[in-house]
Amino acid sequence: MPRINNRIRRLRFDHSEMTQEELAARAGCTRQTIIALEQGKYVPSVELAFRIARTFGVKLEEVFQYEE
Amino acid sequence: MSYRNFKLLRLLVVIILGVLVAWSSAMGNAWIPIPAVLVAVTILLLFRRRVKEITVDERTFSIAYKASRVAFVVFGVGAVALGTTLLALGKSGQPEFRLIGFTLCYAICALALVYSIAFSYYNRKFGGKA
Repeated sequence: MPRINNRIRRLRFDHSEMTQEELAARAGCTRQTIIALEQGKYVPSVELAFRIARTFGVKLEEVFQYEE
Repeated sequence: MSYRNFKLLRLLVVIILGVLVAWSSAMGNAWIPIPAVLVAVTILLLFRRRVKEITVDERTFSIAYKASRVAFVVFGVGAVALGTTLLALGKSGQPEFRLIGFTLCYAICALALVYSIAFSYYNRKFGGKA
């Protein structure tokens, strides 16, 4: 079954230990959504995925990985 | 205003509104509930605008969508089953069940009609065929 993984938690720590709340505010979503993303319980929309990648200043593929 | 403070305010407004509506119902006063509800909604909307935190996002809508679908299916199947059962019972000697059965069946028909109209609208809006 296809699965989308992410490195959000790693990237947060690499970016001056950004908090979930800070990331949520900058990406335009709730902290609960960030928690759900990091736990792999939620797959974001393309738009939110791009906003998160842009917050970290990296490409989309560096945040989210698609595994078959 | 923080979202936490807004939730406390919302709880307070709901409690006051509940007390007002219950009291006016007990007194047989029909003039208080509607203005009270309007005032309460206005207060909550005004204070909601002052909350700067993001409290609702795409995940919230996704959850609400899934919950709505489950509620629709459960209510739909349940109402049809119960309504038709009550209609059958109403024909066999318990006429009071006919009213309840008809209400349920017409309610589910109205719900299905609204769903069809909404589905057609959004299908067209998002690029589907008319």
